[in-house]
Amino acid sequence: MDATLREALAARFPAVDLDQDVLLVPAADHYPLAALLKEQGYTLYVTVAASHHPGPEGDAFEVATVLRRPVRGAPSVAWRVVLGADPHLQSLYPLFPGADLQEREQLDLVGVRFDGHPNPVRLMLSEDWVGHPLRKDYAPNMPHAPWR
Amino acid sequence: MAVDQTNLSYEHPLYATMDKMPGITVATTTVDMLLTWGLKNSLWTFAMATSCCGIEFMHANGNRTDLDQMGSVPRPSPRHADVMVMAGTITVKMAPRILRLWEQMPEPKWCIAMGSCAISGDFYRDMYSVVPGIDTMIPVDVYIPGCPPNGDDLMAGLKRLQEKVEAQRAGRWVEPEGRPETAKAILPALGRVIDRDGTQTERQLRACQSMGLDGNEHRQSDLVAKSAGLLSNLLKLKGR
Amino acid sequence: MDPIFQPFRDDPHYPLDRYEAAADLMLLNMGPQHPSTHGVFRLKLVLDGEIIVKAVPYMGYLHRGVEKMVEGLTFAQMTPIFNKHDYVSPMTNEQAYAVAVETALGIEVPRRARYIRTILAEIQRIASHLLWLSTFTLDMGGVIGGGAAMMMYNFREREDIFDLFEAVTGSRFHYNTHCIGGQRHDLPEGWVQRVRAFLDRQERAFDEYLRLIRNDIFDLRTKGVGVMSADLALGLGITGPNLRASGVDFDMRRDAPFHAYDEVEVRVAVAQGCDAYARYEVRMAEMRESVRILRLLLDQLPEGPICGSKPVKMANAVRVPDGRGYTAIEGPRGEIGTWLIGGGEDKGAKPFRLKIRPPSLHAMAAMSYLLPGHTVSDVVVVLGSLDPIMGEVDR
Repeated sequence: MDATLREALAARFPAVDLDQDVLLVPAADHYPLAALLKEQGYTLYVTVAASHHPGPEGDAFEVATVLRRPVRGAPSVAWRVVLGADPHLQSLYPLFPGADLQEREQLDLVGVRFDGHPNPVRLMLSEDWVGHPLRKDYAPNMPHAPWR
Repeated sequence: MAVDQTNLSYEHPLYATMDKMPGITVATTTVDMLLTWGLKNSLWTFAMATSCCGIEFMHANGNRTDLDQMGSVPRPSPRHADVMVMAGTITVKMAPRILRLWEQMPEPKWCIAMGSCAISGDFYRDMYSVVPGIDTMIPVDVYIPGCPPNGDDLMAGLKRLQEKVEAQRAGRWVEPEGRPETAKAILPALGRVIDRDGTQTERQLRACQSMGLDGNEHRQSDLVAKSAGLLSNLLKLKGR
Repeated sequence: MDPIFQPFRDDPHYPLDRYEAAADLMLLNMGPQHPSTHGVFRLKLVLDGEIIVKAVPYMGYLHRGVEKMVEGLTFAQMTPIFNKHDYVSPMTNEQAYAVAVETALGIEVPRRARYIRTILAEIQRIASHLLWLSTFTLDMGGVIGGGAAMMMYNFREREDIFDLFEAVTGSRFHYNTHCIGGQRHDLPEGWVQRVRAFLDRQERAFDEYLRLIRNDIFDLRTKGVGVMSADLALGLGITGPNLRASGVDFDMRRDAPFHAYDEVEVRVAVAQGCDAYARYEVRMAEMRESVRILRLLLDQLPEGPICGSKPVKMANAVRVPDGRGYTAIEGPRGEIGTWLIGGGEDKGAKPFRLKIRPPSLHAMAAMSYLLPGHTVSDVVVVLGSLDPIMGEVDR
């Protein structure tokens, strides 16, 4: 992370520890951080990955986003947001049109809702599918009559 | 039919029956035999290619193992094809479409399960979205194991299918192929279609044998006579 | 192009009822079984006559649940699964996975192994682009229209490449030759000479390809079709040749070197056209560049061990501790990335979550932006020029 970006981030998000490889960001800062990074030249939308972390206090979810600057050295910034039992997060679709399908995939497989998404429906599985396969409590060999 | 017998590189049963007259290059044969020969050597394939095996199927139709030499031409439409080559993993979302495409194929039709995903689902078989093998949906005539099977394997499979077609046309009963044994044979969650009913084999035989020049009427009456022997075979199969 | 289609090109969710009220719209489903959709992909087209007003992609017809499956597998068991995502470039997919685990564990790969990986990756790039070229021309010409001629020429070279890979790994297709910390198979004797001979043949073949496809029809069908601006490409997350065809000079091989790319000069092919023709230009230039890189790599191929400078004694003993990180390499279709969260079952022997970042899924998102305003016959050109592989899109 170069100095100018670090300064800009420290000024805008004082609560975020910038020494981590993957920044831990509060949910409210998710969209503003992406907007700031886009201004700073991190225009390549790389990926979004949600994961399910069951624990003794209940379900937790994590949504990680990666952005990249398409220049020499290929610097990237990854950050994650930890969400509670009813996971929902601001969609990045207004900033990055690539978030459309990516966030739909995470909605489908993990069940994290993205607020402000223009078309929040399942992507990989059929629309009448029940459950989210990548949750830890979903059995991998779930039967699906009459096909399996 | 004019045939230059000197240049024949192999002895086909069709030529064996031809009248060989010195100095005359005209051979006579029965229409039935000619039809068998034509049907067997023009098995057009409909590649139901979902994944990796589709690429190897393209290679099999490419220039090294040229499947055209067996009269097998890949067709993009199910309505042009005799054989469905199921190449690749079948998913729950795709399964109804595959079944529909199979139904759109005209009789007589055969099915080849190419590759381990189409045979049993391979290591995806336990996943929530994967159908464990095409034979849980459609009766399979020839199984070609491999991940993916290469062109030679596909050729051997087509050869087996040609033999089966020839036998069916002659009215002989052909024992259905079984799912190839793997080192760790895991039974599919669903029963195989061929175990439940033999109607597809019956349909194949009917369509196959009545595709002569006799017309539909004859086809119907012919069926009754011919299926008597067939039925006993089917009962034998069902009892197993 | 008629400006009436511009709102649909800017925003694929633009409501259809704002289109001309008098228009007689028709709905056309293309796929999921269609010879030109490169696998099982469905495109819902809303047509006004022959002009596309709106295109909606549907995927998931090959969703095999890989990300769920790997959560139950140890790290050593996963390599054969990874080469089945993108079945046109299995080699680079394996490498993406191997690099991800090695980065997470801090394993250093021996120099010879890095060279072998680079060589295999570059040969795979040629093979992958050859398949793209054959299907692209096949889609435009059709088997009957003479498109199959190009396929026959391309597959001649692809069979050569399969032979080379088979000599190294014992398999034509799904190689399983990478292990964590290096390579499983060393190069057999005489292999380097075989590759050199192949490269000479391949270089001559490029001119043959050009003689086959360089004609006015090809230009008319590709130039100005599927124009994708650099901003749109970056926002969609499009990488690889598709991004470089939009004029963005970015290649992970040069800009964030992995394997042994820091020891050779990579001349990145960039085209400014942004259209299907530019994507064709970039891929053709990349194949020639791969031949050049391969010659350099073969010249300076070092001797030495191929696995384990910090040895991983038993493959099943690989354990990734709790933590997370994103690693990526440049494949033939773009950035193949893995988001890996360690510390899964069996004290980290299995991953907690492994997300694969497929370049093709990002490319598919472009379809609904590029198609409005084009005719139906341009669909296969735009789709073919983006070079998607459905196994990778759906995983």
